[in-house]
This record gives sequence, structure tokens and C-alpha cells, in this order.
Amino acid sequence: MEVEDFNLWYGDKQALIDVNMPVAKNKITALIGPSGCGKSTLLRCMNRMNDLVDNCKIEGKMTFRGEDIYDKTADVMALRKRIGMIFQKPNPFPMSIRDNITYGPKIHGISKQSELDEIVEQSLVQAALWDEVKDRLGESALSLSGGQQQRLCIARTLSIHPEVILMDEPTSALDPIATAKIEDLAVELQKDYTVVIVTHNMQQAARISDYTGFMYLGKMVEFGVTETIFSSPSEELTERYITGRFG
Amino acid sequence: MTDGRDSIKKVKKFHHDAVMKYVLLAIASVTVLIIFFIILFILINGVEALGDIGIVKFLTGTSWKPGEGSYGALPLILGSVLVTFGAIMFALPLGLGSAIFISEIAPKRLRSILKPICEVFAGIPSVVYGFFGLIVLVPLLRNIFPDHLLFGTSWLAGSIILGIMALPTIISVSEDAMRAVPMSYREASMAMGATRWETTRKIVVPAAISGIAAATILGIGRAIGETMAVMMVTGNSPIIPEPLWNFFEMLRTITATLALEMPDVVSGSTHYAALFLLALVLMIMVLAINFTAKLIIKRSRRKFGETMSSGSSLNRITNTAKRRPVSFHILMLISVFFITLAIASALLDLFAGFICASFALTVFALVSTVIRRSGSRPTAYMISKRMPKILRSAVLTALFVFAWMVASLFADTSTSVLAAFIVLIVAIVFIPVAKRMGARIREKVAHTSLWLVIVMVVAILIALLYDIVSKGLPALSIDFLFGYPEEGGLSGGIFPAIAGTIQLVFGTMMIAFPLGITSGIYLAEYAKNTRSTKIIREAIDILNGTPSVVFGLFGMAAFVIYLGTGYALIAGCITLAVMVLPVIIRTTEEAVLAVPRELREASLALGASKWETTMKVVIPAAFGGVVTGLILSLGRAAGETAPIMFTAAVVFRSSVSLSLLDPIMALPYHLYFLATEVPGSETMQYGTALVLLIMVLFMFALASVVRYRYSKNIKW
Repeated sequence: MEVEDFNLWYGDKQALIDVNMPVAKNKITALIGPSGCGKSTLLRCMNRMNDLVDNCKIEGKMTFRGEDIYDKTADVMALRKRIGMIFQKPNPFPMSIRDNITYGPKIHGISKQSELDEIVEQSLVQAALWDEVKDRLGESALSLSGGQQQRLCIARTLSIHPEVILMDEPTSALDPIATAKIEDLAVELQKDYTVVIVTHNMQQAARISDYTGFMYLGKMVEFGVTETIFSSPSEELTERYITGRFG
Repeated sequence: MTDGRDSIKKVKKFHHDAVMKYVLLAIASVTVLIIFFIILFILINGVEALGDIGIVKFLTGTSWKPGEGSYGALPLILGSVLVTFGAIMFALPLGLGSAIFISEIAPKRLRSILKPICEVFAGIPSVVYGFFGLIVLVPLLRNIFPDHLLFGTSWLAGSIILGIMALPTIISVSEDAMRAVPMSYREASMAMGATRWETTRKIVVPAAISGIAAATILGIGRAIGETMAVMMVTGNSPIIPEPLWNFFEMLRTITATLALEMPDVVSGSTHYAALFLLALVLMIMVLAINFTAKLIIKRSRRKFGETMSSGSSLNRITNTAKRRPVSFHILMLISVFFITLAIASALLDLFAGFICASFALTVFALVSTVIRRSGSRPTAYMISKRMPKILRSAVLTALFVFAWMVASLFADTSTSVLAAFIVLIVAIVFIPVAKRMGARIREKVAHTSLWLVIVMVVAILIALLYDIVSKGLPALSIDFLFGYPEEGGLSGGIFPAIAGTIQLVFGTMMIAFPLGITSGIYLAEYAKNTRSTKIIREAIDILNGTPSVVFGLFGMAAFVIYLGTGYALIAGCITLAVMVLPVIIRTTEEAVLAVPRELREASLALGASKWETTMKVVIPAAFGGVVTGLILSLGRAAGETAPIMFTAAVVFRSSVSLSLLDPIMALPYHLYFLATEVPGSETMQYGTALVLLIMVLFMFALASVVRYRYSKNIKW
């Protein structure tokens, strides 16, 4: 995936300014920066979730496997099937655990019960939730704990086999133990998927990501290999942020 | 006290606080007494009839002929049920479609136009709807079905008008329910590549289903208590349609019976008591309906509270996935009842039909409860897996029966069965075709039909407004507004009616405002959450749901007859005041409760007493909300007909009297009188309707301006 000279306005307010960044396949890319710097906005642009926002205007290019995501002929539904998303707050549907996971496959045309059962198991296993819920798939997803709910959301995304998974501060509403589980999961997922993660937590970015982008006031200040960014950043602003002197 | 400072024990302020508390309590108690008095009054008078007539005879007798001493209320009860049922068949698809459109599809700007339009719908007085039905819809239906409708007034006309009247309730309540579905659900669904329509159908609507059910039930409650509109268009003959689903027949509702027979009844006679018993039956029906709606709303609130907060505390709450089928279950029960009733009453007779239907209902309910309660997950799961198939065959069966019913009104038995089969086959062929369409195409089809629905709904309203405005405007003149009626209403003006309506509104205001506002403040600020407070709230709710014609009945019996005032302004004012009291109390209470606690605490922390805090901080902050409620209640009072038509309003007055004991003319009643009793007075009718509409809508506009200004100034 590639982002080139990307600009975005909410009404008159410009939220993204000339953003450039690559997203490497089967790697974890982290986006860090203070609140309101546009990292979530950038992430939401990657599978066009910002289409849902009124009076949002974009300019520039964002490509996925060489194709422009914002091309007029692009199929948004198909795009979102290939680029999935995990949200800040766990948002399971008020249905049973099983129905949460079969929702996506059913929408995309799978109706055979045996196939669906297999997907349910596979996705939950991948999301490291299977052992905890395999005996109560018929129960409401809302009966799960916050961390379990978030893993369920990840399983739900995995059920449609996306190529890229976008994570928007997936652990900000969770406790440390649940956070650790999600982080392990992200690292695990990297084998089969490309992950882009937005996080407030710099240690998290340092721990799990291969590449890191630091954003500030809508601009991509610095982008590079995570180790380099954290050990010897080339921009002073980046250094001040990661050493905790502002932000 | 030794250091010269006031001791914290000094009681001066506590003192006047306590006094004010009791003053408020006293006024609030008056309100409560009034409420209990009305309920008791109707109860006692109605129960008297039981001895004379007998409950079984009353509920199952099929002939309502007070002149001959037969009081079988079944045709009337059925009349109310059938006309309401028809109204919902008409209003539910349109209302739900509009709600989905407004909540999920409409661009922001369009939504901000559609919502006020919906409010205008709700503000139009029922007599104006009835007038429109009588003068536009009835002739129209007569032209469309010349072989079936001799007069045009019919069950069908009543259901259509009632359906239009129930639309705003259904739209606004279900739209609220859908907007309350967290955005994150939609995002999660869209993020997986679902189309908008799939998201709406599979996520938003199921999540909002209890709200939608409540909206429908509230709509039913409003429709079943409606008087003027149904009375004007249903033909009012107390017969049971033959066959039961023949919507071309005339029928008569409970409300219409009360309005038609109350003025001529001899006080204390069996007939008089029978009417009260009818009112009691009506109240019980409305109460049961509103109670169901309240239960459902309460449950759905809890559900959303739980979905929006995340965390493990959710474990104890019964899971929604298992609970959802309940509303569906109720729907199944209702359809089982009606389908059996229809089939059995067609084959045998009506009474046998009822018995069969009740039997089928019981059996079905028992079986399904046993299945649901069987508890073991595998069973429940197996059933829920098969649910789509069961549901589909149920829908198809219902479709078949319904098609046959409609067809049988137009053709003989064999032809209509054939027609129903054709419909069934088309449906069976259509389902797989629809399934095979792409998601995108299905979305297109769905959205296009929703656009059509909203266009249709708006067109109905515009047609109504345009008709009245375009034909009413030529009638308006100085002579019309300030002259007296001449030639029995055929010409002249409507000055006494305008004056009378203003007098009524003013009088209502003088009585209802002090009582209502004080009671509202008392309930919000002072009342402890004890059992007696709960009873007060229940009583207010009961009164709030009571159909307006029942208030009229009470006003007539208590003032006109018992106190001997005759038709008098004061009787009308008190009746209307009692009717709007619950609205005022409720809106005042809500506005006061909406004031944040921090404000109160800040005031109390500065050493103000509770009374001072209430007067100087809370009430000014709640002012906008209170005033809005007051104006809305007056708008409603101005447009009501049923409560004044046998307490205060007469057909003609040659002068405007300011005496409280004189009868008056009033716009809504004048319109009713002209439309039903004075043929050839169309111009005068349209003029009156327009003036009434302008008055009422002006008050609603004023209320929304007040609300808007205050919501802009105060933000918390």
C-alpha cells in the first residue's frame, strides 16, 4: 500500500497535509503522535471509512496493490472486504458470538452451514479466543469481557480473510493483560496479514511494529524503521515526542 | 453562638423551606385528587351498568340498539379493533419506511426538513383530518370502488385517515430508536464490506426492534382512542362487517358511539351507565396497549445502556440474542389469532370463530412457551437455526390468506382462491430471484422503494395542506373573520367561534398552568421516590393515555349534568385543563430534571435554601423547556373537539359572552358541525379549517422557536 501527497479536509479544516507513506506487506506499521494529529483519520482513509463522514474532502493518491483506492470506479465494499478494521472501542454486534463472526461471510455470500462453522472456529482460533468461548458460541457477545470483545472483533474481521488489518488504538479501552494479549495477537497475525496500527502508546509501537510513522498536526513528520525512529530520529520534533518532552 | 457567627444549626431558612414544601405538596395533591376522582367516577358509573346488562351480554352481544334496550357492545369493540388494525396495516410500512429513510439514508439537510414536517403532521387537529377525509378521501374512494361503496364512508376510509394520523408517532419513535443504535455498529458492519442496506436490515433494524415495536404500539394506542376523524368517515353503523374482513362496510367505533349518543342520553338510565361502561372498556384497552409499549421501551433502554458501556459487568444481563424473538413471538401469536379467526368465522359464524381463534392461540402459545422454556441450549439452537424457514412459511401462509381475503371481496370463492394462489406462486418465484440479485442491486431496489415511500408520505401531507390552504384562502375576509354566521352557517362569518376558542384556551391556561407547573416542580424536586410518588406517576400516565372523548364524557356527567351548569365555558375549560394537565406536569418535570446537578450543588454550597435554589437557579434554567410544554399543551387544547362538544360548545351564538356560565362556539366544533350537518357550506368549512389550522400550527411554531432559542442559549 502506498500513500502519496494525501490531503484531507473536514469542511474548511484541513486534517491531513501532504502525507506520504508506504505500508509494507506482512509487516506491522505503527502510527504515533499526539491526540488530534490525524493518525486515526489517515487510518480511516485507508478503507474509506471516512466516506461516512459528511463534508469530508480529499486530494492526493492512496493505492492498494497499485490501484487507486479513491478511483471513481473502485468498489468500496470489495475494498473493505480486503482491508479490514478494528476500532478503538470493542464494538461487537448485539448478537450471539457465532452470529458476530458469520455476519461477514454471510454478507459475502457464504451460506453453507458446515463452511460457516469452520470459519467460526478458524477465526476464533486465530484470534486466540476459541478456547475461552467454544462452549458458549450461542451466547450474546456482550457477555464477554472487554478484552474478549476486542479479540472477537478481530476474529470477526479475520472471518472474511482481509489482506490488510487496520487497528485504531485497539487497546486503549483495555487493561494491561488484555492489551498484552492483543499485542501478541498482532505480532502473530503479521505472518498472514499486513497490519497498520494507530497507537497512543509509544512502548507499544516500539514493541510490536516494524515501521513507525510519527505524525503531528496533520503532517507525517518522520517515517522509517521502528528501531531507527526510536533510537536515532532525524527530526528534532520526533525526538522530543518520543522522549516525552511534549505530547 | 459565642463567637458571634451564625450557628450552623440556625433554622430560619429551613423553616420557609418546609413551608414551601407543604404548599407545593398541597397543590400537587389537588391535581392527584382530580386524577383519582376522574378514574373513580368512570369506574363507578360504568360498573353500575354491569348489574343491568350483565358482563357477558355486554361483551358478546352483537346488537347495539339502546332504543330497544339491547346493549351488545361487540360490534363497537370490533369496530375499534378493526379500524385500528387497518390503520396499522396502512401506517406501519409507510411509517417504518420513512423512519429508515430519515435515519439511515436522508442527507443531513433533507433530514432537517423532514423532521419538522413530521411534527406538523402530529400538530394537525383530528377534526381537520376528519374534514379532509370526508371532503376529499371519501368521494375519492367512492369513485375508485363504485360497486362496493355506496356512500364512501367506510372502514377503509377510517383506516386510511387513522393511519395517516398514526404516522407521525410511528415515524418519530422508531426513528429515535434507530438513531440510538451506536454508530460503531454501522461502522463495524460497513468495515466488513456490507452495503448500507445490508447494514440497515441486518444490524440497525434488529438492534432497534424494540423501539420500533413500541412505536407501533403507541401508534395503535393513539388510533384506538381517536374520535372525531373516525366518526366523520366510517359511517357509524353499529354492525359487524360481513365477512369480518370486508373493509368496504361501514362500522362504528367505541369512541364514535360515546360522542354520538352522550348528548341525548338520560342521566341515570341504563343507556347512560352503558356508555360509561363502554368508556371503561376503551380505557382498559388503551391502558393495556400503552403499558405494553412502556414495558418494551424500558427494556430497550436497558439494552442500549448495556451495549454502549463495555465491560464485564454485562455478564448478569440476559443476553439479547436469546431475547430478541419475543417481539417476533408476539407477532406470531397475533397472526395465528387473526388467521384462525378469519378462516373459522368464514366457515362457521363469528362467535364460533372467536372460540376457535382463542383455542388456537392458547395451544400455540403453550407449545411455543414449552419449546422456549425447554431451556436446553441444543433445542433452542436448533429452532433458532430453523427460524428463517419457519418464518418464511408463516409469511407465505399469511400472504396467501390475506390475498384470498381481499380477493373474496371482489369475486366469488373459486376465483379468489385462484387469485391467492397466483399471488403465492409469484412470491415463491420472487424470493429466490431476489436472493440471487447482487447486494448492490438489492440496495438500489431497497433505497428506491424507500425514496418512493417518503415521497408518498410527504405528498399526502402536502395534498392535505394544499387542499385546505388553496380552498380556504378565498373564504378569508374581514367579514368572515369578524362576522356572525348567517343562514345556519351557509354564509356570514365565524367570529364567535374564534372568540370562543380563544376564551377556551385562555380559561384552560388559567386552570391548568398553576396546577400543572407546581405539580411538575414538586415531583421533580421534592417528591421522594416512595410508593405514593410511584402511584402519582402511574395515575398521571393513565390520564395521559386516556382518549379525549372520555374526558368529554366525564366533563358532561360531572359539570353539565351533576353540577347543573349546562353547556358552559367553565365546564369546557375545566375538562380541557384536566386533559392537558398530565402533559404539562410531565414536560415541566422533565425540563426541571434536565437541569444538571452541578448547578443545584453550586447554589446549595453557597448557602441557598432548596426553595431559593429551585426558584432562582433551577426554574430559570428549565424555563425554555417548561414554556415549550405549556404552548404545546395549549395548541392541543385549541384543536380538540371531543372534550368540548358536550360540555361547552354549541352550534350558534348570536353574541360573544364573557360569562363563564354561558355556552360558546368553538372553531373545531363549528368545523365538525358545518362538515356533517350543513351541506353546501364547503367554502365556510374550508375557511374554518384554515383558521383553525393556522391557530394551532402557529402555537406549535411558537413552541419550536422557544425551544430552539433556549437550547441555543443554554448548553450543558
